[in-house]
Amino acid sequence: MNEAVMNELAEPIMKKSSGPETEESLNIEYGETVGQPFCEQAKIKTKNVNVFYADNQAIHDISLDIGSHEVIALIGPSGCGKSTYLRTLNRMNDTIDICRVEGQILLDDEDIYHKKQDPVLLRARVGMVFQKPNPFPKSIYDNVAYGPRIHGLTRNKAELDDLVEASLTKAGLFDEVKDRLHAPGTGLSGGQQQRLCIARTIAVQPEVILMDEPASALDPIATAKIEELINELKENFTIVIVTHSMQQAARVSQRTAYFHMGRLIEVGDTDQIFTNPAHELTEKYITGRFG
Amino acid sequence: MKISALIFLVLLFAAFSYFMARQKITTAYRQHKSKHKILTLPKYFGYVAALCSLLPALLVLLFLQIVEEPYINSEISTFISASNIEANQDLDLYLNEIKGADTPEKVAALSEEKQMVYQRYHEIEQTTARTISVVVLAISILLAIWGLRKININTPARKVFEKIIEGILLLAASIAIMTTVGIVFSVLFESTRFFGEVPILSFMFGTEWSPQTAIRADQVGSSAAFGAVPLFVGTMLISFIALLVSVPLGLMSAIYLSEYASRSIRSVAKPVLEILAGIPTVVYGFFAALTVAPFIRGLGESMGLSVASESALAAGLVMGIMIIPFVSSLSDDVLSAVPQSLREGSLGLGATRSETIVKVLIPAALPGIVGGVLLAASRAIGETMIVVMAAGLAANLTVNPLEAVTTVTVQIVTLLTGDQEFDSAKTLAAFALGLMLFITTLILNVIALHVVRKYREQYE
Repeated sequence: MNEAVMNELAEPIMKKSSGPETEESLNIEYGETVGQPFCEQAKIKTKNVNVFYADNQAIHDISLDIGSHEVIALIGPSGCGKSTYLRTLNRMNDTIDICRVEGQILLDDEDIYHKKQDPVLLRARVGMVFQKPNPFPKSIYDNVAYGPRIHGLTRNKAELDDLVEASLTKAGLFDEVKDRLHAPGTGLSGGQQQRLCIARTIAVQPEVILMDEPASALDPIATAKIEELINELKENFTIVIVTHSMQQAARVSQRTAYFHMGRLIEVGDTDQIFTNPAHELTEKYITGRFG
Repeated sequence: MKISALIFLVLLFAAFSYFMARQKITTAYRQHKSKHKILTLPKYFGYVAALCSLLPALLVLLFLQIVEEPYINSEISTFISASNIEANQDLDLYLNEIKGADTPEKVAALSEEKQMVYQRYHEIEQTTARTISVVVLAISILLAIWGLRKININTPARKVFEKIIEGILLLAASIAIMTTVGIVFSVLFESTRFFGEVPILSFMFGTEWSPQTAIRADQVGSSAAFGAVPLFVGTMLISFIALLVSVPLGLMSAIYLSEYASRSIRSVAKPVLEILAGIPTVVYGFFAALTVAPFIRGLGESMGLSVASESALAAGLVMGIMIIPFVSSLSDDVLSAVPQSLREGSLGLGATRSETIVKVLIPAALPGIVGGVLLAASRAIGETMIVVMAAGLAANLTVNPLEAVTTVTVQIVTLLTGDQEFDSAKTLAAFALGLMLFITTLILNVIALHVVRKYREQYE
């Protein structure tokens, strides 16, 4: 293949990354977050959060409240900091040496970055579901029983059995696996594995569940099941979900926050964000002009 | 002609063949307008042409070299018997004497008869060498010419070259396998000779080991008892102590290195730890004999225990230190290979780091960890020098780590060093011990494999 052909092929890709629709060409000035970042019954309050990876600032001055028993979706182009923000909420970033968090994050008005706060207990209260299903290489039963066992949530085997069954039932998985609870969790299909991970998280009885693109590795049917599950879970839990799919955000969330280049651009009711975005960047993103 | 010169010439022809074939194909490509754009590179045709002359020539040379000596021997024996010379000694010795005469002085010193045989030997040797050179060179040249004439742009050179490479790789692999098989069979064969002299049951279950056979009938104290139990108990005792030291220390340092240490500490600590494996065992040996053993003895005596100055404990402790890197390095690698997602999954449920390690990482990394422990165990079982220096030679049947014991490998060394008749029971016992040791490690491996298969938690 000669060079001219190569260039021709490369062109459309280059247009995407450095075409006219970047923030330089849009000439946007980052100001205050548009919309209503605060709410009355806040479960988690974040104030002026900055996150650095070594010298790189990944998150700039984000203030956002997460209401009790609501599903809030974080959307935005790749690398906009939404996953990083999510991981500050249960101090998952602590596992990265070079990561540094500034600002205030309050869970039920307690500072989770306070010196006396135990990140391990925090993570039991703020559970997390990851992008790629990551069941432990143990049996289905042991996967769900893992959290209750390490936290001593049950007193005997019968209670543990009940808790495992209840968690699997809530995750909509029990009927599919009830005959093979002692088969390895890694032997399930991708969608079942992800629901197993959700069951595992529910079993610890957290107050908040963080979901980092929980359906991005799944097929449409498995995705639909996960979304259905999220709708049921919001009765009992506060859910923060990062997603790349705007349809998904529209389907499952009550509020939506749009991130761009480490900044929180706009927050609002999901309906309003997707029908009548206030900020130019939000509009361009949801109409698919970049991202 | 010297073999080296012959090989050089064969290589030269092969190189010539390579360049000629490459040239021929390059020219052919230029004249022949092909409709395909992608053509086999000319160098492949060169390789094929070169190997076509090189490989058969080398194989024939190897074969002739192998049959050369038996041929000369048989020729010279025929000559000796034909010319009625009385080889009143062993024929082998006679031939050795003649072949050994490589300087004029030595030849002059031979008797007249022998000089005659020497002359004949020399003639035969020269003709054979000349024949070999001619045959090999002829094959090399003829095949080079044949290859150059035959090769053209339609030759599937790339495919042929792949086949040849595959053959060479297979050869390399089979040499290693054949060597193992050869060693096993030679040990097996010598062992059966030993078991012809000493009953196998008294060897395997006898509790007394004193291999000094009586040379004279009236000699005292040479009972020649070949009971291997004390040796195996000693080996197991020392290896067990060594593993008791190295497995916890190695595993814990591996966990520290892979889960807790920062990148900079890890980059320094890991190579330093691996240096432990590079220290010669003799150094460990005198460290054990001169520092650790007296220390243990002093400590034991201060507590009112009687400790031999050479003890299994001293040898085992030092050996344990020596094999730490085998456990830690391998375990560190497999722990680091466990996907980060499993760690995050566990931490995300509110598990502490140590809970994550014990309940998720170690089960997932178990096969590799067991592999490291096995490697360490086989090093411990096979280790000789430290035991010779620190644990002694006395074959006591005991499981008390404070007494002197000896191991299988140490006894193999003492059996085979010094002037020995090679077919005495004492020497052959070394092979029997080797065989037993081999079988023991094999059984250990099988058990470990089974354990891993049963308890492993496979990720991905």
